[in-house]
Amino acid sequence: MAEDRYANLPAETPMGAPLDWAWLKGARSEWGVHPKPGPRGLTMMDIAVGSYGEVPDYPPRRTMSPRGADIEDPTPDMGYILNKKSEVWADNVLELYEEAVARQWSATRDIPWNELQELPDDIEHAVCQLCTTLSEVEMIAADLPAKWMWRMNHDFLEAKMFLCTQIMDEARHSEVFRKRALANGGGLLKSRAGSTSLLRTILEAKTYTQASALMHLLGEGFILDIFRQGELIAPTDVEKRIFRMAMQDEARHVAYGTLHIRYAIEHDPDVAEEIHAALDHGEAVLVEFGSQPDLSTAIAVLLAGGVEDVEEKGFPMQAALSAKLLTSYLARCERAGLNRVERTQLPLDLLGIDPSTITAA
Amino acid sequence: MTTIDSVSFFDALATEMNAHPEAYEVLGDVDMDLAIVMRRPDADDFRLLLALRGISCEGVTELDADDLARADCWVEGELAAWQTMFDDVMANGRATGRQTINSLTLIGEDLAVRGADPMGVDKFFRFNQTVQAFIDGAAALSAGAPT
Repeated sequence: MAEDRYANLPAETPMGAPLDWAWLKGARSEWGVHPKPGPRGLTMMDIAVGSYGEVPDYPPRRTMSPRGADIEDPTPDMGYILNKKSEVWADNVLELYEEAVARQWSATRDIPWNELQELPDDIEHAVCQLCTTLSEVEMIAADLPAKWMWRMNHDFLEAKMFLCTQIMDEARHSEVFRKRALANGGGLLKSRAGSTSLLRTILEAKTYTQASALMHLLGEGFILDIFRQGELIAPTDVEKRIFRMAMQDEARHVAYGTLHIRYAIEHDPDVAEEIHAALDHGEAVLVEFGSQPDLSTAIAVLLAGGVEDVEEKGFPMQAALSAKLLTSYLARCERAGLNRVERTQLPLDLLGIDPSTITAA
Repeated sequence: MTTIDSVSFFDALATEMNAHPEAYEVLGDVDMDLAIVMRRPDADDFRLLLALRGISCEGVTELDADDLARADCWVEGELAAWQTMFDDVMANGRATGRQTINSLTLIGEDLAVRGADPMGVDKFFRFNQTVQAFIDGAAALSAGAPT
């Protein structure tokens, strides 16, 4: 019936240029899949049906043609270098993309800025120092995916889409911490070489999977715990809200990285050693970053509620929280399929961490 | 004092959440099975599963100990610690200071977040503002909650 309607379509434009109706009659793609929207709308999981839900391990082309379309060869080569699914994929990436889109927030609108209160001088300085450091380091988690995304095969569209949300998240984090530093009568404070050393280590990783291990698993895992601590030590509800909202974003990035590393190792066990090598170096740089005087003393002052109790309360509490932070990181490594417990040079003994308690499940 | 170790209390919190979609819409969808474990001094532990879906709490179910692993993660602690947390919410309209669910579980002396899988535990952080808003709902119950 439909073919009858299309049988006599013109072969040329009124100007005499040839016409091609292949898209209307006989495109070689799956037609009529009818994905059904769920209670939240039509999600990426809903449309991963039939051939459209099949992500090839090795895409046949290096083009931006949409996966599942009737692609006419030859197609131009976009110069992608990440053409193996295991180099970028994670089994939770569709869900995380939808979650990220649903849970976006505005640093302008969703923080109760008008509830800021005048704080004691040492507390305001400590908040501003923490925000200075966070404003500096957060943008690396936007720069890093931006560096690699245009090299990822377009058949891995969903992974690229998720990384786009991460870039937006990190822009918002840099924004919100910069805003907080300025908003209550303080300003931006010290920035030193330690931060940049860590950021450069992440940015200069030789492969995307190494970069992901350094950024998502190690760096963002560390920052996730800093955000948790930030919520704990926040002097007002304004900072509490900031840290809780940022924490949610950061945990998504960590969740992607953990399952990306797992996917990469499961599909190419040889990659584990290159990830270990990157983390050997990354952990050393992270310790240097975490113990730099500006960040660590600012957090200790906030934990203590002021400079007076920083030695009695601040530093001991900080050590206890550092032990939790490293335990969480090592557990995530186990979940990702990486046994770091036997290899790490992190000061587990010094922090009283019992390696036998670290398990993935 | 409101009796918090009861299904009816959490049913009321769920009703409060479901009655205010506008408050949860801005936070975004959630997909998490969160268990609550309250250790009672002279009785069996109280265990409960909250099924948080979209912008609703779709289920409040009492759990057996063997069923904890059904949850993505669980928050456990002494009943007294839970009581202090909810009392703070009811007194102040929302959790204050170190009585937020993140702060309490980070310190870990009173409440702890646990799970069978680190990915499940990470959901506690991914949806933390929604969980906090759910708990803060207790402020609205203080007049009509079961006692």
